[in-house]
Amino acid sequence: MRYLMIQKPSDTHPDEKLFAEMGAFIEELTVAGVLLATGGLEPGGVLLSSVGDEITVTDGPFAEAKEAAAGFALVEVGSKEEAIELARRFRKIVGDGESTIQQVFG
Amino acid sequence: MADVRRTIDAVWKLESARIVGGLARLVHDVGLAEELAQDALVAALEQWPEAGVPDNPGAWLTTVARRRAVDHIRRERRTSEINPDFPYEDEPAPQQDDVLRLMVVCCHPALSREARVALTLRLVAGLSAAEIARAFLLDEQRVVRRIAAAKQTLAEEGAGFARPSTDALPGRIGSVLEVLYLVFNEGYAATAGQDLIRADLCREALRLGRMLAELAPAEAEVHGLVALMELQESRFAARTGPAGELILLHEQNRGRWDQLLIKRGFAAMLRARALGKPPGPYVLQAAIAVCHAQARTADETDWARIATLYDALVRLLPTPVVRLNRAVAIGMAYGPEAGLSEADALLTDPSLRDYHLLPAVRGDLLARSSRHSEAAREFERALSLTRNESEREFLRRRIAEMAAPAASGTLGAAVAAFLARDDLDRATVRSYGQTFTRLRRALGDSLPLDELTADRVAAVCTTAWGSAAAKTWNRHRSTVRSFADWSSLPGIAAGLERRTEKPPENDPIPPADLATVLDSPRHSLRERTLWRLLHESGAPVSAVLALDVEDLDLNDRRARSGGRWVTWRSEAAALLPGLVAGRTSGPLFLTDRRPGPSTSADRCPHTGRARLSYERAEYLFKQATGHTLRTLRHADQ
Repeated sequence: MRYLMIQKPSDTHPDEKLFAEMGAFIEELTVAGVLLATGGLEPGGVLLSSVGDEITVTDGPFAEAKEAAAGFALVEVGSKEEAIELARRFRKIVGDGESTIQQVFG
Repeated sequence: MADVRRTIDAVWKLESARIVGGLARLVHDVGLAEELAQDALVAALEQWPEAGVPDNPGAWLTTVARRRAVDHIRRERRTSEINPDFPYEDEPAPQQDDVLRLMVVCCHPALSREARVALTLRLVAGLSAAEIARAFLLDEQRVVRRIAAAKQTLAEEGAGFARPSTDALPGRIGSVLEVLYLVFNEGYAATAGQDLIRADLCREALRLGRMLAELAPAEAEVHGLVALMELQESRFAARTGPAGELILLHEQNRGRWDQLLIKRGFAAMLRARALGKPPGPYVLQAAIAVCHAQARTADETDWARIATLYDALVRLLPTPVVRLNRAVAIGMAYGPEAGLSEADALLTDPSLRDYHLLPAVRGDLLARSSRHSEAAREFERALSLTRNESEREFLRRRIAEMAAPAASGTLGAAVAAFLARDDLDRATVRSYGQTFTRLRRALGDSLPLDELTADRVAAVCTTAWGSAAAKTWNRHRSTVRSFADWSSLPGIAAGLERRTEKPPENDPIPPADLATVLDSPRHSLRERTLWRLLHESGAPVSAVLALDVEDLDLNDRRARSGGRWVTWRSEAAALLPGLVAGRTSGPLFLTDRRPGPSTSADRCPHTGRARLSYERAEYLFKQATGHTLRTLRHADQ
């Protein structure tokens, strides 16, 4: 099963220590053979919405957060609980904030 | 409670290799290490539902298990009358090294292959005996006994937990790779509808392979196996259809291939190559998988390269299965006959006697050589040798195709398939094509083959070539007959009688026929003039066709052409003024239509038409009489 873990932008200021711990965590996931892909995400991005024939394109950011650090990890594990366990460790590293976990189908 | 249980399972799957490895380093016995770890799990089951899941569940399990390990060592020392306070050995070693050692020990040479598989899945992947049993379609008790016996063997062998020496490591890792690929293939053989845990074996093998690639990054074959598994797994979804039926590689929808895994496969391949060692069997197999992954369509597959890779692979791994795959690649790269001669060499190999893929491959090669009845027999043999239902279904389909290769199709499709055979040379295809162009135009590409009757075929052929030379008629007739044999519709040529051919050179036109032809108003003025002129002048055909209008001396009934005189008599003289029709220069005999812009300058200044060619003139006369133009020179009238 594949799960997409997304770290939402937060107010936590990313410092050297955080980057080092993140690096170690990614290394651990790699050695565990569960990490398929990972990367950081641009805080705002671009929002596209369509109503009828009209498509609106809006530039971000959409959150208040200034020092936003967002990212994603695509993992392959045997159960939702394993994904949650991985996300739990991740949250411990990054401090206050939110993550989502969604199963990827197909 | 159920949630806690699932959390414990999850933690165990993620941590078991490191926990068991770390314990084995302490107690020098993987069997004992696993039991200690199990004790810790039981403790977790007892305490977590009450106290809640600890902050760091992995660390909690490790601590509890290590405490028990230390207790165990103290107890041992007391009973063996060694000073219990003597420091137990806890050599500092990175956790990763523990996992590598664990993998290597689980694949110890003293163990049978089945035992290695069971132990690896149990201790490294953290699967329960029940899960292993379900995945391998075995009885759970049997798996439990197998694991216990394996632990016993390791203890008796004194396998311990030492790191293999640098020299021995590649060999020991080779044994791990073999186990991983075995597990992977077991999962890959699973089909839809079966227990999902079987397909999960692929994921487990991949996970362990990716782990091993990080633990032993200097071993090229590890990266080779990882690349091979990533690339094979990328096709997992595409290789079965909606009803679970098997879809062969070249028929798969490549859009369903997992591009992420393909990229991971390529990346693993680059890591293997970067080590700069001569490629081993896994790297070579991965290189073959890379060839497939790089082809955007099946037709773009570089089969010549694949055949070369198999040449190298067969030297390292001369197993019958590799040799058979090599035959397939050669058949694709160099034609079915070349493939067949390779496959035929395997018929005497006793280890392939009951291997269903040998007759299946031969059947495919025979079918591509249009040897349909032989192909059907091979597919029958293959069918009798396999119990896999999706493969059986596939073979039944192939057998049905052989019985009536195109009977269910349309005229257009059948003709296309007939002409696409590998054993036809270009000239034959061109000649056949003339027959089929006429048939398809007259009857339509979408005509179902079962409506292709002898009467219809005969009607088309008679209209098109009924008045043509016997030789022409017979050529078209034999094309139809050969198509009839191929498509198993022998009746369709029944209306076509063979005609007696006359060798045209030695057989002048009978005077009566000649008169009929030359005077028939069915033929155009140009034809009649040309034929009259040839007949009356006795001049070579090329000389007559080379005549220009300004060469003609109509009064003296003669013309100068190519250094000789062409002379004629009254009949041609009567026709020529009509043909010249006021023109003052340019070729005497002109084509019917204006030529395209790029053709030569040898054309009529009045009409823009080009000079009539020898081939066209010859063709028209043959159509009309079945004879060649040259016979006109000597014909009596």
